[in-house]
Amino acid sequence: MRAMLIKSLSNPLAMLGFIIIAAVLLFALFAPVLAPFDPDAIDVKSILLSPSPQHWMGTDGLGRDVFSRMLFGARISLLVGIVAVGIATIIGIVLGAISGYYRGWVDVLIMRLVDVMLSIPTFFLILAVIAFLTPSIWNIMIVIGLTSWMGVTRLVRAEFMSLHGREFVLASQALGARDGRLIFKHLLPNSLTPIIVSSVLGVASAVLIESGLSFLGLGVQAPQASWGNILTDGKEYIEFAWWLSLFPGLAILITVLGYNLLGEGLRDALDPRTANKSS
Amino acid sequence: MTKYLLKRLFWMVPLLVGISLISFLIMHLAPGDITTTEASFNPKASEESRQKLRALYHLDEPVLVQYGLWVKRIAALDFGTSFATHQRPVFWDKKDDKGNVSSGMIKQALPITLLINVLSLVLIIAVALPLGVISAVTQNRPPDRAITLFVFIGFAIPSFWLALMLMYWTGVSNNWLPISGLHSVGYEKMAFLAQGWDTLKHLVLPVFISSLGGLAGISLFIRNGMLDVLHQDYITTARAKGLQENTVVYKHALRNALLPLITILGLSIPGLIGGSVIAESIFAIPGMGKLFYDAVLMRDFPVIMGILTIGSALTLVGNLLADLAYAWADPRVRRGISQ
Repeated sequence: MRAMLIKSLSNPLAMLGFIIIAAVLLFALFAPVLAPFDPDAIDVKSILLSPSPQHWMGTDGLGRDVFSRMLFGARISLLVGIVAVGIATIIGIVLGAISGYYRGWVDVLIMRLVDVMLSIPTFFLILAVIAFLTPSIWNIMIVIGLTSWMGVTRLVRAEFMSLHGREFVLASQALGARDGRLIFKHLLPNSLTPIIVSSVLGVASAVLIESGLSFLGLGVQAPQASWGNILTDGKEYIEFAWWLSLFPGLAILITVLGYNLLGEGLRDALDPRTANKSS
Repeated sequence: MTKYLLKRLFWMVPLLVGISLISFLIMHLAPGDITTTEASFNPKASEESRQKLRALYHLDEPVLVQYGLWVKRIAALDFGTSFATHQRPVFWDKKDDKGNVSSGMIKQALPITLLINVLSLVLIIAVALPLGVISAVTQNRPPDRAITLFVFIGFAIPSFWLALMLMYWTGVSNNWLPISGLHSVGYEKMAFLAQGWDTLKHLVLPVFISSLGGLAGISLFIRNGMLDVLHQDYITTARAKGLQENTVVYKHALRNALLPLITILGLSIPGLIGGSVIAESIFAIPGMGKLFYDAVLMRDFPVIMGILTIGSALTLVGNLLADLAYAWADPRVRRGISQ
C-alpha cells in the first residue's frame, strides 16, 4: 500500500493531484480557524463588495464573506464525495464479489441489475429520487452512492474471475480453504489496485454531481454553504458581481482536477498494461 | 442479421422490466406515501388532488397490484396528465370531450432535446476525432501534452460554471449570442431562413456545453485506441511495405480504432440525456431536461415518472442502434452472426 503510493507519486502529475487534494483537505479541516468571518453572518452594510484585503473573495448578496463560505464549502464537497464513494464502493465490492465468485444465476441477476441501472440516465435517476425524498446533505450522499456502484461491481467481478483460475488460488482451494478465506485473504487483496483507482476517480465525479445538484437548488440547502449553492447566488448577480461566480467554479475545477490527476497517476503507475501508453 | 436483431430485442425485455421496477420503487421511496410528500412540499395541494393521486396510482391496492396496473398503463403508453400544468397530457396529444386538443408535454420537449443531442454528437465526433489522432501520433510530444491538458480540464470543469462564464462573456458583456430560450422575440414573423439562423444562434451555447464532457472523453478514447492499434503487427507490416505514414495512420489504423467508438457513443447516450437537465435549465431551453427539472421542483409525479421511463427507453434504443451499427461495420461480427 505504501510502496504503491510512493511509486505513483514519482509521477509528477499524480504528485500535483496529491498536493491539490492535501491542500483542499487541510483547508476543509481547519476551516473554523482559517475563516476570517463567520460564514453565515449576514452584514447588510457590506453587500456585494468586490474582493479587497478585508474580504479576499468579496461578499455575497447578504453581505456574507465569500472566502469564509468557500472554506466551509470545501468540507461539504469532501464529505459528500468521500461518503458517497464509500457507499458505492462497498455495494460494488459486495455485489462484484458475489457475482465473480459464485457465478451462475446470481451472477446473471446482478449483471442484469447493472445493465438496468446503466440504462437509466443517471442525472434523471438522482433528481427523481431527490424529488421523492427531501434534499439534504445526507440524502445527497446516499443517492449519489446508490446510483454509482455499477462500475466497481463490474471491476471487482472481472478481477475475481481472472484471479479464480490462478495457481495460488487453486492451491489454497486444494488445501481446503473456505469461501470466506479465499475471498478475503486472496481474491480481494489482489483486486485492490483497480478498486482504489476507481474510487479516487469516483470522488471526482461525486464532487461534480453534488455541486451540480446544489447549483440547481436540489442539493445542499441554504444557509449551509456549498460551492454549488454559492454559484447559484453568482448566477443571480452575474451582471455586477463576477467574484461570486468565479471562485467557487475554480475551486470545483481544481479539486476535481486533483482527484482525476491522482487517479490517473495511480492507474499508470500500478497498471503495467497502460504504463507505456500515457505520459 | 435478422436473428441477431431478434436476439437483441429479446434481451431488451428483462431490461425494460428492470427499469419499470426501479422507477416503481423510487415512487415508493417517499416517507409515508407520495400523497403526503406532495402535501408537505406544495401547500396548495388540495384534498382533491391528493385523492386524484391515490386513484391514479391505485395506492389503496396491494403493492403488487399497484405495480401491475402501473405497468399496464405504461405499456399502453398512457403516462397520465400533469398535476402542475392544467392537466396537460404527459406524453402525447389528447383530445377532450369537446374536441379540444391539448398537446403532450414530452411530445413537445423531446425533439428539442434530440436536436441538441444529435448536434452535440456531431460536434463531439468532428472535434474529438482529429484531437485523438493528433494526440496519438505525437505521443508524449508537445501537441499530445496540450491535448491531454485540454482533456483533463474538460473532465474537471463544472459544465454549469462554464455555462455561466460563457453567458456572461458572450451574452452580457459582448452581446454576441442570445443566452436564453430557443427563439428571439418576434420569431413568428421572421422569414424561414431567418428563423433557422435565429434558432441556430440560440443553440450554440447549449450544444457546446452539453458536448464538453463527451469531447474530453472521446478524445482520450480515440487516442488510446489509436495507440493500441498502432502497436499491432499489421501496422508494422504496412510500414515495412513502404506505405506512407499518412496512409498507415488514416487508412489502416484509424478504421480499426474507430470501431469501438460506435459502442462508446451508444453508451454515452444516458449521460447526454441526463446532462440536458443542466444545459437546458441554465439556458431556458424547453426540452426534456428543463421539463424534468421543473417537474422535480413542483413534485409533478406523473411527469417525473414519464420522463424517467421514456428517457430509459430511449437509452435502450440508442444502445440497440449502436450494436447494430457495430455489427454492420465490423465484418468479423457480421460474419459471426450469419453463421
